[in-house]
Amino acid sequence: MKNYYRTPAALAIVALMAACASTPTSTSLLESTRSEYRQVEQNSNTGTYAPMEMKQASDAMREANLSAERRESADKVDKQAYLARQKIALTQEVVKKKMAEADVTAAAKERDSIRLNQRTTEANQANANAQQSQLTAQMAQEDAAQAQRRTAEAQRAADEARSKTAEAQARNAMLEAQLADLAAKKTERGMIITLGDVLFGTDKSTLTTDGMRSAQKLADLLKQNPMRKVLVEGFTDSTGASAYNQELSSRRAASVRDALMQMGIAGDRITVRGYGEAYAAASNDNATGRQLNRRVEIVLSDDTGAIKQR
Amino acid sequence: MMNKNSIPGLLTACTLAVAALAVGGCTSSVKAPATSSVAVSAAAVDNAASADAAQFAPVEMAAAREKMARANQAMAAKDYKTALALADQAQVDAKLAQSKANSAKAQAVSDALQEDLRVLREELARANTTKTQ
Repeated sequence: MKNYYRTPAALAIVALMAACASTPTSTSLLESTRSEYRQVEQNSNTGTYAPMEMKQASDAMREANLSAERRESADKVDKQAYLARQKIALTQEVVKKKMAEADVTAAAKERDSIRLNQRTTEANQANANAQQSQLTAQMAQEDAAQAQRRTAEAQRAADEARSKTAEAQARNAMLEAQLADLAAKKTERGMIITLGDVLFGTDKSTLTTDGMRSAQKLADLLKQNPMRKVLVEGFTDSTGASAYNQELSSRRAASVRDALMQMGIAGDRITVRGYGEAYAAASNDNATGRQLNRRVEIVLSDDTGAIKQR
Repeated sequence: MMNKNSIPGLLTACTLAVAALAVGGCTSSVKAPATSSVAVSAAAVDNAASADAAQFAPVEMAAAREKMARANQAMAAKDYKTALALADQAQVDAKLAQSKANSAKAQAVSDALQEDLRVLREELARANTTKTQ
């Protein structure tokens, strides 16, 4: 009889148990913890940086889930969920810390590399500067050397000019001495050397020994003054036919030229004129005057070879 | 009759024994873990405090301290179950606080270094532009 009462009760208990088993306890903390757990689980850095903490969070999460499946009270489930949630947060913090540390390592590496680059750049710059200053110094040195060379050159040119002047002075002094030796007269046409009658044979155009000596002196003078030229002018007295005199004066002048050419003076430096009895230097009335008129005058050109014609 | 009467009686006796065992077992088996958990959690709170957790994670640190205090009160009241639960919570709170402090410090170091890098790059860029000028 009693079994009649017990059967429905047992059935009710079984039904209740089945219903409870199909609806585990659920709390809002558990739900939010599960969602946070999924986020951390999906973060690829979790496995790398906080595997141990993740394992503990995982265990706590499982405890909370089991508690919920056992249909324990919301208070009990929340206690487990709270532990899981804090452990999940801890896992996140550890991941953050490890990532920051990794950033620090990378940044330190980069900083070192930048500093190294900077130092390399600075060293190169310093090197380039040094080379530049060396180059500048070299250029300055070269400039100085060049200036010195120029000074030396100017000095040499001045010396040369001075020595040339000295040479010219010496030559002039010598020329004057030679001219004095040849009894040259200074006229408006220039220096004139007169070879007198006695230096030629009477009525002849050949030079005597004395005449040759005078010619030699003149040749020496012309050799030492290669720029100078001579004009050889022959004159006679008024005795005899003027045609003859003209011819004689030309022959005498020509024989002076021939003598000079034999002594090595070029023919183009010598010009010859015969003037006969013209341009008498003295009176033809007496013997002394006539002797003075029988003469050869040699006009010496200036330094450029120019001669004033009669 | 004898059989029919003895079965529920035995069941009742067994249930009572099991319940008594469970309650007695619970009380004695919870006291030791609670004591050790409270000690461990107290150490965790101390560690977090020396890691400047109060500065970097004030909310978690305050929670940990408050739960520790309540755990100690529960211990004094011999409510070991509550003490254990509170100590466990205080422990995870303290550990989280310490971890937050650690990650904040690491982040600060990283930020400072990044700032260093930025300044360094700027200097480099400026040096390069003055050189080319």
